[in-house]
Amino acid sequence: MRKYLLVFFVFSVHIVLAQGPSIKVSGEVTKPLTLQAADLAKMKRVTVSMKDRDGNEHPYTGVAVGDILEMAGVTTGKQLRGENLTKYMLVKCADGYEVVFSLAELDTDFTDRVVIIADESEGKPLPPGKGPFRLVVPGEKKPARCTFQVTELIVKFAKE
Amino acid sequence: MGIPGPEPYTAVYPAYFGNRINVPADNPMTVQGIQLGRMLFYETALSANRQLSCATCHRQELAFTDGRKFSAGVDGVLQDRNSMSLANLLWVRNFFWDGRARGLEQQAETPLTNPHEMGQDLAVSAARLQGMSMYPPVFRAAFGSDTIKGDMILKALAQFERTLISAHSPYDRYLQGVYKPTASEAAGIELFYGKGGCGHCHGGPKTYSELYHNNGLDSVSKDPGREKITGESYDRGRFRVVTLRNIALTAPYMHDGRFATLEEVIDHYSDHIVSSVTMSPFIQGNLNLTAVEKKDLLSFLRMLTDSSFITDVRFSNPFKK
Repeated sequence: MRKYLLVFFVFSVHIVLAQGPSIKVSGEVTKPLTLQAADLAKMKRVTVSMKDRDGNEHPYTGVAVGDILEMAGVTTGKQLRGENLTKYMLVKCADGYEVVFSLAELDTDFTDRVVIIADESEGKPLPPGKGPFRLVVPGEKKPARCTFQVTELIVKFAKE
Repeated sequence: MGIPGPEPYTAVYPAYFGNRINVPADNPMTVQGIQLGRMLFYETALSANRQLSCATCHRQELAFTDGRKFSAGVDGVLQDRNSMSLANLLWVRNFFWDGRARGLEQQAETPLTNPHEMGQDLAVSAARLQGMSMYPPVFRAAFGSDTIKGDMILKALAQFERTLISAHSPYDRYLQGVYKPTASEAAGIELFYGKGGCGHCHGGPKTYSELYHNNGLDSVSKDPGREKITGESYDRGRFRVVTLRNIALTAPYMHDGRFATLEEVIDHYSDHIVSSVTMSPFIQGNLNLTAVEKKDLLSFLRMLTDSSFITDVRFSNPFKK
């Protein structure tokens, strides 16, 4: 029996490694998530437009960050009030880059701007170095928060 | 009345470094802990052959590097990566070239115990120090107990290393508005932050960002770098962006020490970038710098040498008469 368990364990580890890049959602969530490309493909897809460093608008398709936060049980919509307005989302990327958003910046009750986790642009996967998952923030003058290779979204309380 | 505990130590640094410092709750900096850490940093009894200390590969006069491409351990085997310089570690969150150690306490364990570095189990080191009459009282003063344990060694070393703050270079005086750069230095600063794009990763007073990038050294990196930690192919050949503080003293350069001089480093970014799938998207090919631009960049990099840091008695060998 132990031998079978070991075989199963080794097999499971192999599966995890073979799954490839993912986005982990953690922190002030009721349901921690690890989303792979296939999970994002099943969610509601949206396309937004953003001006890249080349100065031109480009369409990006993916999933609204608000939807991902709602799926993870983060305080969104009507729950985004009182102390919950002191929450922020930390975005972590494969190269160590990090940026933050306040939750209100990502919530449809507060803003019409839709920030997405994009996994394709003009029907194609994102290029190496930027994909597979890129944060796309429409309407910002600098693309510094449109981060490449997102690996984690962490929701926290600002504590001072 | 009980015995007074160790005295809290507050690190002093310029406001422009910011306060995103890393001191774990279970290892606050204390005067006595730092004093012990300094002794341990220079203590050869921590190595299996009693000949190496941390300071063997991290020499103060070379901004805590050793001038070698790869350093040799107690068994004579060379390391597979270049010994890193030590400066402003109080702000660093992930250590080693691949960022695999979260915090200095965790980092310190590797060189102490790795058979190809100092090669001695922490328990053996603790027992050796226990038998040296000078140590038990110093451990008691730092940690309230003269029964020496391995984790105390790590904690004291980490405390000492957090005090290695380099903030008195000509560049600091420039940031403080009390030094006027030469024409070449000023041009170098402009190039660094402008056309060179160096500031994207090395910008700001600390001259590094906590990032991992492939800086175009090889078409296929022999060393997997960050990939070994994450298992992701897009991390192949990605290494930590290191500080440029005291960079003129810390040759050779890169994770494998392939460049003997700063001139070679500048030539690399100017003329020899090798593209690959995982090369940083922030490197857009060769910079094609002119000879004057290369000289200017070098002038700026030399501004980062902190002569008081490499002679500061607080960081020096306490056993040296």
